[in-house]
Amino acid sequence: MIRLQNIEKVYRTDTVETLAVNGISLDIAKGEFLSIMGPSGCGKSTLLNIMGLLDEPSRGTIRIAGQDVSSFSDQRLARFRNEQLGFIFQSYHLINDLQVLDNVELPLLYRSSSARERRDLAAEALEKVGLSNRLKHFPSQLSGGQRQRVAIARAIVGKPQIILADEPTGNLDSAMGNEIMDILINLNRNDGTTVVMVTHDENMANKTHRLVRLFDGSQVQ
Amino acid sequence: MKVMLRNYFKIAIAVLKRRKFFTFISLFGISFTLTILMVGTAFLDKVISPDYPDYKRERSLYVGSMELQNSKEGWLNRSNVSFYFFDHYVSRLKSVEKIGISSYSKASNAYINNKKIVISYKYTNADYWRVLEYRFLEGKPYAEQQILHAERVAVISKAIKKAYFGDVSSVVGQYISADEVNYRVIGVVDNVAKTMRNFAGDMFLPYTVSKENYKKPDLMGSYSAVLLARSKADVPKMKLEFDQMMKKVPIGNKEFDRLYCNADYFFASMTRGITGDGKDSGITKAVSVLVALVILFLLLPTINLVNINITRIMERSSEIGVRKAFGASSRTLVYQFIVENMILTFLGGLLGLFFSALMIYFFNSWNLMDGVRLSLNFSVLMYSFLACVFFGLISGVYPAWRMSRLNVVKALKAQ
Amino acid sequence: MVKHLFKLIWNKRRHNFLFLSEILVSFLVIFAVFSFLVYYYMNYRKPMGLAYDRVWSVNYNSNQQSKNMDSLVIFYEDLQKALKSMPMVEAVSYTSNNFPYSSGIMTTGLSPAGKKVYNVNNYMVGDDYNKVWKMTLLEGRWFNPEDKVARNKAIIINESLRKEIFGKAPAIGKSVGDYEDKGKLKIIGVVQDFKANGDFWPAGYALFSPLDSGYLKHTNVLLVKVRPEADAGFESSLYKFMASRLKNSSIEIQHLSEMRDAKNEQTIIPMLIFMIIASFLIINVALGLFGVLWYNINQRRGEIGLRRALGASGNSVSGQLISESLILATMSLAVGCFFALQFPIMNVFNVPSIVYVIAIFLSIAFIYVLVFVCALYPGKQAAAIHPAVALHEE
Repeated sequence: MIRLQNIEKVYRTDTVETLAVNGISLDIAKGEFLSIMGPSGCGKSTLLNIMGLLDEPSRGTIRIAGQDVSSFSDQRLARFRNEQLGFIFQSYHLINDLQVLDNVELPLLYRSSSARERRDLAAEALEKVGLSNRLKHFPSQLSGGQRQRVAIARAIVGKPQIILADEPTGNLDSAMGNEIMDILINLNRNDGTTVVMVTHDENMANKTHRLVRLFDGSQVQ
Repeated sequence: MKVMLRNYFKIAIAVLKRRKFFTFISLFGISFTLTILMVGTAFLDKVISPDYPDYKRERSLYVGSMELQNSKEGWLNRSNVSFYFFDHYVSRLKSVEKIGISSYSKASNAYINNKKIVISYKYTNADYWRVLEYRFLEGKPYAEQQILHAERVAVISKAIKKAYFGDVSSVVGQYISADEVNYRVIGVVDNVAKTMRNFAGDMFLPYTVSKENYKKPDLMGSYSAVLLARSKADVPKMKLEFDQMMKKVPIGNKEFDRLYCNADYFFASMTRGITGDGKDSGITKAVSVLVALVILFLLLPTINLVNINITRIMERSSEIGVRKAFGASSRTLVYQFIVENMILTFLGGLLGLFFSALMIYFFNSWNLMDGVRLSLNFSVLMYSFLACVFFGLISGVYPAWRMSRLNVVKALKAQ
Repeated sequence: MVKHLFKLIWNKRRHNFLFLSEILVSFLVIFAVFSFLVYYYMNYRKPMGLAYDRVWSVNYNSNQQSKNMDSLVIFYEDLQKALKSMPMVEAVSYTSNNFPYSSGIMTTGLSPAGKKVYNVNNYMVGDDYNKVWKMTLLEGRWFNPEDKVARNKAIIINESLRKEIFGKAPAIGKSVGDYEDKGKLKIIGVVQDFKANGDFWPAGYALFSPLDSGYLKHTNVLLVKVRPEADAGFESSLYKFMASRLKNSSIEIQHLSEMRDAKNEQTIIPMLIFMIIASFLIINVALGLFGVLWYNINQRRGEIGLRRALGASGNSVSGQLISESLILATMSLAVGCFFALQFPIMNVFNVPSIVYVIAIFLSIAFIYVLVFVCALYPGKQAAAIHPAVALHEE
């Protein structure tokens, strides 16, 4: 599903050059649930960003769903992200001034679909994460776990093939974290969605199919 | 306390430097607004303050109009005052030391060297020259003797001297012709600015040479007067005596049943003509209109400034949150912000001062209004300073209040 | 998408309150400016209606002459004849104090069938008045000597007065009551509207009546139309002539073209000052809006990064910001229009409604352009935000 070859990412400032990702090659199969672990600063978030087409590698190629995305224009990348990828962040990144339903609908706004379609898909996604009774609430009225569930609903509303999760349980206590993991595992098992997760938590990582460890930009396991 | 202020000051400067764009916008808004206010104040000051040749304003009252009213039908007749009125009634008042009487300017034409010159002339009495302080560049004014004999003598202005005679050094003794009458020049005075409407003129003549009948016992005519009291303290006495005299003046015209004539302080005499009438000096109306205009003008820049200030605060909300978390009280932060705002306002004020000085310099050197010279004197600076303070406070209070209510935890979570 | 933006903005309305009030006040200021400009422009476009070039007014004192009425009439008739015979003079007419461009005002009212019309400028005119002004007659004729002695006093009215009294119907031959509805006035002619108060003010209502000899005692203005060759030399000899005929009178000659310029200045100069101040205010507002919008983006970096991640292209993001600003402007403009519409509805200041309506449209367009321009650069900034960076800033 995702094929990374010799990915390098260098950050340049006026004085310093940092090698964030150093020659990583990775193959992720369709329907796989992959965890990426490593200490802070080892480049895992950077790698996830590159996979999510949010950042361009300095060197190397990426193929997603069989397409070489390195040469895509900004417009095309945007559309690709919209249709194929779903994102989950540590700090949820919900829009506080919008209700839950509107937040979940957000990705669909960048597609051509009618208001009714959007409403139905969003409701469906919220049901999958168990939040059907909170449609009209604002994020500020929800607990951390509930917010992350909204974020997951948003990530899957467009039925993407791949979900990229950056420390999804990082801000949650263990009980809520487990709940979230369960939802993700169900998505992966039942809907066949490929999931790539960056995490600190060994326990969570052990529940997934494969674990990749990074240290200082290179793969070490 | 002094150390704290210095600290506030240093931090304020650092903050202003950090966000240059916001600082620029705020400074632009403040300096521009204050420039307009200052130039406007300079204008107002010019019109209201004692100026050449009316220097004895603080012991003067001004009589400019006579009004006859028919209170039942609602008609009124208003015009300048007759010479007879001043001569017969006002000159008998005991508290009046001198009266300076002059007619309103009329225009006459002179044709010199195939060019047309418009000469605006006034008829005056002898005391006019003693009440007002004209600067004589040549010669001297006419006195009682010349008036008695209706001598055809004239005092002319510097501008008319140049236009009529050209670049001649002395014109005393020469003749100037207006309305087909020749007048002998006996004095030349410095030009009076157009804003001193009652005292500006090209040629001054004794009232006895006027073609009109100044002896007619009417109340209305074409004259106005400045009443001079012996001292500043005597002025209220003079006003009282005048009002009491007015009650006894017969109207002399069956069509009207009310008579109004006032001896006003300078400002009232101005407003009466614009927003007042015989009964009401119109000061309240004029002042309230002025204040309303200023407030309306200030509205937009103030909203703008408040907006920018709030933005500045919100932008630093995490910084504020950190400070609060580390023990800074709301009060300290509010003071900090107010100091910042004051500095900004005063900087803007200084800039405004510079720009108004520039504008006034150009106004004066390009002679945009004939003979009118503006200046930034002390009273203008005082008002400007007050405007600065006022402006700074208004645009700072609401944002400061918002800032003090910022919840620490929310601020720290910023996003 | 628009609905989505509306929801976003509506939920943040308290936050946007100052932005909205700034737009509202700016709109009102611009509305005032445009109202003036449109009003003056519309009046400016109307035809002048009279030929003021080479017309001089001669002011003299009327109360010095002999009291005998007959000798007075002969005196003034002789004076007019003498002036007319001068080679440089084309036409001469006596007039009341309130001729076009003068500072004199004389108004009266009329009582047409049951109505009352006020504020009608009342011009008393001598025999050759129209030879001086060359006004265009739309109906009927100018005065002739018989009109002075007719039983029902003859008057000539202007276009606007005809419209007010008779609508689209012709006015010739009809009679109206005078101010107190005691005497009847017969309309013998209608002139095209003329702008007596300068180029920028409407013509108002006007009626002309012939100067009869009784009025000569009070008349103190002569209007003289001179030939193109007349210069200051001629003016000087005219002046001397008048002074020699009218002893004990001060004479003043003014050029109507200069008087017209003075009147126009009285309108133009305050307008210029008003516009200069208004433009500075608007520049102030523009900079302020720019700053606020720019700050807005910085606040919403996370949201912008998120939207990029979810599939918004760079253009979509800047488009969103610009759209949001325009929607905010619309909200303010709706309130502003509510206030502004009171003006045409209530015909404030007796200005025709069309002026206000045009001014409202122009102001709305102006505000939209202003907001659009102010949002353009911040919008581009938004598009340039790197989603990877924005999403991980904490």
